[in-house]
Amino acid sequence: MAEGMKQTVASMLKGIERYNPDNLPTLERYVEVQSRENSYDLEANLAVLKLYQFNPLSFNVEVTCQILLKALTNLPHTDFILCKCLLYDKQLAQEPINQIVYLADILEQCDFQLFWTRIRTLPDLTQSITGFVDSIRKFVCHVVGITYQTIERTHLAQLLGDVDDNTLKIWVKKYGWKEMAENLIFIANQDENIKTKNINEKIDFENVGAIMASCR
Amino acid sequence: MSKGFTEDFEQSYDYNYEDYASHTGDPSLDEYNRQHFKMPESVKNFLVYFRNNVNEGLIFELQALYEHTWPKLTEDYFEKRPWPEESEVATIVDSDPVFMILYKELYFRHIYARIQGGPSLEQRFNSFYNYCDLFNYILSAEEPVPLELPDLWLWELIDEFVYQFQSFAQYRSRLQNKKEQELETLNSNNKVWNVLCVLNVLHSLVDKSNIKQQLEVYASGGDPDSVSGEFGSHSLYKMLGYFSLVGLLRLHSLLGDYYQAIKLQVLENIEVHKKSQYAHIPACQISTSYYVGFAYMMMRRYSDAIRTFSSILLYIQRTKQLFASKTYQHDQINKQTDQMYHLLAICLVLHPQCIDESIQQTLREKSYHEKMYKMQYGDLQEFENSFVYACPKFLSPYPPPIDSLPGDYSKEAIQHQTQVFMEEVAQQKMLPTIRSYLKLYTTLPLSKLATFMAQNSRTSEASNRDLDKEMQSLVIHLLCFKHKMKNVVWSKGASGLEGKFQSGSELDFYIDNDMIHIADTKVAHRYGDFFIRKILKFEDLNRKLHQLKL
Repeated sequence: MAEGMKQTVASMLKGIERYNPDNLPTLERYVEVQSRENSYDLEANLAVLKLYQFNPLSFNVEVTCQILLKALTNLPHTDFILCKCLLYDKQLAQEPINQIVYLADILEQCDFQLFWTRIRTLPDLTQSITGFVDSIRKFVCHVVGITYQTIERTHLAQLLGDVDDNTLKIWVKKYGWKEMAENLIFIANQDENIKTKNINEKIDFENVGAIMASCR
Repeated sequence: MSKGFTEDFEQSYDYNYEDYASHTGDPSLDEYNRQHFKMPESVKNFLVYFRNNVNEGLIFELQALYEHTWPKLTEDYFEKRPWPEESEVATIVDSDPVFMILYKELYFRHIYARIQGGPSLEQRFNSFYNYCDLFNYILSAEEPVPLELPDLWLWELIDEFVYQFQSFAQYRSRLQNKKEQELETLNSNNKVWNVLCVLNVLHSLVDKSNIKQQLEVYASGGDPDSVSGEFGSHSLYKMLGYFSLVGLLRLHSLLGDYYQAIKLQVLENIEVHKKSQYAHIPACQISTSYYVGFAYMMMRRYSDAIRTFSSILLYIQRTKQLFASKTYQHDQINKQTDQMYHLLAICLVLHPQCIDESIQQTLREKSYHEKMYKMQYGDLQEFENSFVYACPKFLSPYPPPIDSLPGDYSKEAIQHQTQVFMEEVAQQKMLPTIRSYLKLYTTLPLSKLATFMAQNSRTSEASNRDLDKEMQSLVIHLLCFKHKMKNVVWSKGASGLEGKFQSGSELDFYIDNDMIHIADTKVAHRYGDFFIRKILKFEDLNRKLHQLKL
């Protein structure tokens, strides 16, 4: 369904059509389809927020919440910031939008344990977003993947939201990580990519050619 | 015509609107003033000559009239008063409709820029209607209209159109000191300077000229005329289309829509070092880079922002002498240059990386250096001050609701964008401290760094420390460091939104179980450039000496 709608929606986002409030119901429905079917279309969602910006009376808290939560599923991209910039202060302070803003803040600070504790107290908030928790785990894996060469097994399980042994194994396998002795997990050979660079001056012939010619 | 002035005076004239209105309030006195001023013969001749040149499309002559004669006559006769009224001019130029529209555009622009007290409500409305006339003439024609104007004029026309919208939105949201009747007029005319109308004009100009397709073909090495269509091959439509893209970039940025702002740009064209047929109006290039760089900064694409700013600042450094003669452009460019140095400073504090030596040199000057130093030490107020000084003047697209209490609503949008940015800065608060420790080592155990960090934040009571807790919070900061320093960076392709995740900052690290391994970037001193410059200077001197005849 999301695929089918994508085309219709794309034509609604061209040029000045993007600001046509008559498109709002379709675009809002499209947000719900994305939530349900675990697909994502940032541009269409931003167009919804833009229409709210231009027509404050049409503002819909529920749809906005879904858009913001969907933006979180696309971390580490900065979609959430783009959404925030289109909303007004007063809208961001509303319940439960303010809860989502807080969640975004702790995720951006990579305080994952706090995030998992928090999300457990808000079971209803993310219910409508299919695959929300796994999307956040993907983000956690992204951050772990760029930070660690080896990580303690228990620590990784904590970061993923205190997952049980089986779930942990699934994620480790998915990212091609390897279990090692002494409760460690091998992530990647970071020393190949992350090394001290020395930038020395290189003067090529072209740069000095003109000067040499003039010094004859 | 002087945008630099308008930006600066805007605050004061709108606030003091009531006190300094250009009309005396006494109809008989106004009438007296009008009659008292007799149009000088030279102005009359100029207008007739001007109109003839417009009709004959003598582009080089028009350029001279627009860039030199108009400002000169303004200085001589209209420093503090408006140019002659429509009715007076119409009789001189046989009420030539197209010329009258163009004249009025200049007439209102001059009022916005130079007349103390700024435009009255009526003038704001009339200027808007005049723009409607102009764009209707250009856009609703069945075939391209026979009009040619210098590129600089077209750029300033579009830029002014967006500026006047911005000025109106600010004026509209200041509800204090507005009289009942004024509010009523505003409320019953809400189509005037409506954001949709402005967007519509700019989009229509873009569509009519096929400029996006032209730029894409041009960027990939093809011939833009192959896709330009009937209208887009005409210089008037092509350039209006191009400048409208920049106008949209500015407008979207003012409304906080950074995604659309960047999406519209065909990035190859803002790489200023590449010679392009579109990139020859410095003010336009500078404005483009300012807004693109700013949008990148907000999207946490620091590498892209730094590249955009450094490249335009370098260009400004090298071509400074060229602008010096034209003062009205010069003021605007100086202001935007200073703003970009501030933004660049912010980006470099958040994301330290190597930049061109001559730009670095400027940032070492006292005013910037001090600010960067403060920001590095976590002075949030300094971040905020620099941001507010350097950011665009954000707008809210719609006026406050009709039943709003009187007050100043014009600052709300800027406060909101500032807050979003400051939240990002707050999230990164610990990173400079961590960076400063990591810089000292090549390997460092987690526990040792945790102790350093704790010493940094703790008072002298060393007894009740909890190493586990400190380690935990350190690991969170380290993860945050890696996350925030790995951002999307553009490398190629027409869309500025594309890119790959890269770590572009000069210091990087990874954690191997409980040990941090640090990689730094070490830059050796550069001598070549220095010597080349000295040799060239010496050669030059030598040559001059030889030319001397004794």
